[in-house]
Amino acid sequence: MVLELHVWGPAFSLPSIDAQCLAAIAYLSLTLPQDAWVLVASSDPSVSPTCELPALKNDSTWVSRFRNIVDYLRQYSNGEWDLDQNLTGLEKADNIAFSAFLESRAQSLLDLSLYVTSQNYYNSTSPSYGAILQWPNQWILPPKIHTAAKDRTEHLGLSSLDLDAIEEQRKREHSAAVAAGHVPKNLIPRPRDTVSSLLGKTSQQNQFKLEALTAELFEPLEEILGDKKYFLHMSEGGPTSLDCLALGYLSLALVPELPHPWLRDAMRNKAPFVTAYTERQRQKIFGIVNVEHALSPNSAKRSSSILPWQVPQRARLATVSSTLYNTLADAIPVWKDIRMHRRIKDEIEENSEIAGIERRMLSIVADTWTKDVWLSVGTVVGGIAALAGYLVWNSSGGEVEYEDGDEDDELQFTLPDQPMQVGDMLAGL
Amino acid sequence: MTPERRDSPGQTPDNVSTASRARDFFSVPAPVKRIFDRFPLVTYPSNDLPHSAWSDRRGNRLYVFTDAAGARHGRPSFNPQCLKWQAYLRFVGIDFDVIPSNNHASPSGALPFLIPAHPVNNNTPIPSSKLQKWAIEQVHCEEEQQLDLRFEVYASLLDHRIRNAWLYTLYLDPEEFAAVAKPLYVDPSSNNSAVRTALAMQLQQAARTEILKTSSYIDVGALEAEASDAFEALSTLLGDNLHFFNRPNPGLFDASVFAYTHLILDEKLGWRRNRLGQLLRQHENLVQHRERLLKFF
Repeated sequence: MVLELHVWGPAFSLPSIDAQCLAAIAYLSLTLPQDAWVLVASSDPSVSPTCELPALKNDSTWVSRFRNIVDYLRQYSNGEWDLDQNLTGLEKADNIAFSAFLESRAQSLLDLSLYVTSQNYYNSTSPSYGAILQWPNQWILPPKIHTAAKDRTEHLGLSSLDLDAIEEQRKREHSAAVAAGHVPKNLIPRPRDTVSSLLGKTSQQNQFKLEALTAELFEPLEEILGDKKYFLHMSEGGPTSLDCLALGYLSLALVPELPHPWLRDAMRNKAPFVTAYTERQRQKIFGIVNVEHALSPNSAKRSSSILPWQVPQRARLATVSSTLYNTLADAIPVWKDIRMHRRIKDEIEENSEIAGIERRMLSIVADTWTKDVWLSVGTVVGGIAALAGYLVWNSSGGEVEYEDGDEDDELQFTLPDQPMQVGDMLAGL
Repeated sequence: MTPERRDSPGQTPDNVSTASRARDFFSVPAPVKRIFDRFPLVTYPSNDLPHSAWSDRRGNRLYVFTDAAGARHGRPSFNPQCLKWQAYLRFVGIDFDVIPSNNHASPSGALPFLIPAHPVNNNTPIPSSKLQKWAIEQVHCEEEQQLDLRFEVYASLLDHRIRNAWLYTLYLDPEEFAAVAKPLYVDPSSNNSAVRTALAMQLQQAARTEILKTSSYIDVGALEAEASDAFEALSTLLGDNLHFFNRPNPGLFDASVFAYTHLILDEKLGWRRNRLGQLLRQHENLVQHRERLLKFF
C-alpha cells in the first residue's frame, strides 16, 4: 500500500508553506523508500477527517500532526521506519524538550514574520496561498490563518508589526483628538508608517523585543548543534525526528524572500552554524520546489523534483458546496448563534458523563440562549418594521407640508423642519 | 403637528418659533417630569471599603488563588502559576504573606502579583513577569536562565505540553471539572446557581480557546501522550540530583516543576481519575522531588 501524505502546497521554493508539513515531508523522505509514499499538495484541511494538515493516509486510516505521524510510522513498520530508535537517556529527553521548544518558540516567530508583519503577509504570504489554493478556499482560508496567527502571538505585545492594528489605533486616536475639538480636523498630522520605519526609529522597544525573542530561540539551538552534523548525533548517528522538525521551522525562517527579512537576518547573525545546517539539509531533502512540481498534471515536470509528487484531486462539487455553506452560515450573525447552540446541545446529549443537575443546567442555559436568539430576531424584525412605518408615515406628512411651504413662503423652504430632514435622510438610505 | 405647521408661515418671528418648537419636541412632558422630580426617594449613606483580616498586613503581600485557611498557614496555592511564584519566593528565602484574591483584583488581570513592604506607602504592585527581577534585587540570588542553556528549552515543556494537558484535565474533563475546579474556582465566587453555571462555562470556554490556539481540535490522546513525554524528559533531566541542574538549593525551575507536580499529586484536591497523576507516578524521582520541596511549606 502506498502511503499518501497530504500537505499544504509549495511556496517560497519550499515544498510546503507550513512548518509541520515540511517536517513531515522531511521525516518521510528520510525514513521511507521512495516508492512507498506519495506527496499530495491538497492544501485543504477538509480532506482529512481531523481537519488538519499534514495528514497521512493509509487506505482508510488517517493520521494527522507530525508527532502522531512519527508514532504511526513506527508502529506500522514494526519499528523499522523510526529515526529515534538509537537515542539514549539525555538525548531522548533533549529530543522531546527541543521539539516542544521549537513548536512553541519557532512557531510564534514564524507567525510574526510571515503573518503579523503586514508587508510580508500582503506581499509574499498571501499571494503564495493564492497560488496553491482552489476556489473558493483561496478567499476563505488565508484570512482565517492570518487571524489565527495574530491570536497566537497576541501575548507577545508586538502588534505594532501589524499595520492594520496600527491604522486602527491611529484612527481611534485621531477621532479622539477631533472629538476633543481642540485641533481642527485637517491639521492633525497623519504620518505614513511602514514596518521599516517602525523598526528603524519610532519603536526601538519593538526591536529590543524581537532581538530578545530571536536570541531565545537561536542561541540554545546554536549551542546544541555546535559543529556536529546533526542536532543530536554526530554524522554516523544520522538524523532524528528533531532534525526533521527543526528543518521544517528553520527553513521557513531562512528561505522565503520577504520584503522585511528581520527573522532571516537575526538567524544569520545569531546562529551561523544553524543557518549553514538548514541550507545544507534543505538542498539535500527538499531541493528547489515550484508550484508546477506539485500541481502540474505533466508527469515529466513533476519528476524533475526529488519528492514523489502526486497531483491532488480537483475539489468535488459536494466539497465546494459544503465549504461555501459552512462559511456562509458562520458569517450570518443570528444563524451563526443558532448553529452554535445546536452544536452545544448535541454535545450535551452525546456526552453521557455529565451528571443530572449539571446536565439540566446546561440544557436550560442552551434553551435560554435559543430564546435570546429568537428575541434578537424579533427585535431586528420589529425595528425594521418600525423604521419602515415611520418612513411611510413621515414621507406622506412631509410631502404635504413641503408643497404648502413652496406655495406660501420662501423662508419655509430654506429652513425645513427638523422631522422632515430626518425623514429625507432615512429615505435617502 | 401638521395643522400647527400650517399656521406657522403667518406668524411673524418665524425663526424663533421654529427653534422653540424643536425644543418642545425634545423636552420632557410635564407629568413625567413631575414623577421623576420625586426621585431619589431615599439616599443611603455610602458603604465602607471592604475590610478583611489581611488589609492591615504590612509585610510583602503576595496575592494568589487560595482559601482563607490556606492563606493563614501559608499553604500552597491551588493555581499552578501562583504556586510557582509562591514556591520560588519561599525557596530564595523572602518573607511574605499570602493573601487570597482573584483575577478581578489584579491590575494586570492575572494572579499572582506582589505588593512589596518597602518602600512604605508604595502601592505599585509587581506583576508575576517582574517578580524574578524583584527577588534578585532583594536577595541577590542568581538568574538561573543564564546558567544553563537547557533552562528555557525544558521550561517550554512545562509552559506548553504539561500546561495544555493540565488545562484539559482540570477544566474540560467534565468529571474532574465538577470534582476539582468547580469547588476551587467557581463555588467561592457566588451562591447563585445561575451565576455559577455562567462562570463555569466562561472558565471552560477560556481553557478551550487556549488549547485550540495551537491545534484545530482537541485530541485528548495526543495531549496525554505529550504530557507523558514531557514528564519523561523532565525525569531524565533531574536524574539522581536533588534539584534540577544539580543546584545546591531549589530555584525557579524547581518551583515551576513543583507547581504542577504538587497539584497533580495532591490527593486533597479530590481528583477522580487523575490520568496525569498516573503518568507522573511512573517517574519516582519526580515524585520524591515534590515531596522534598513540600517540606518548605
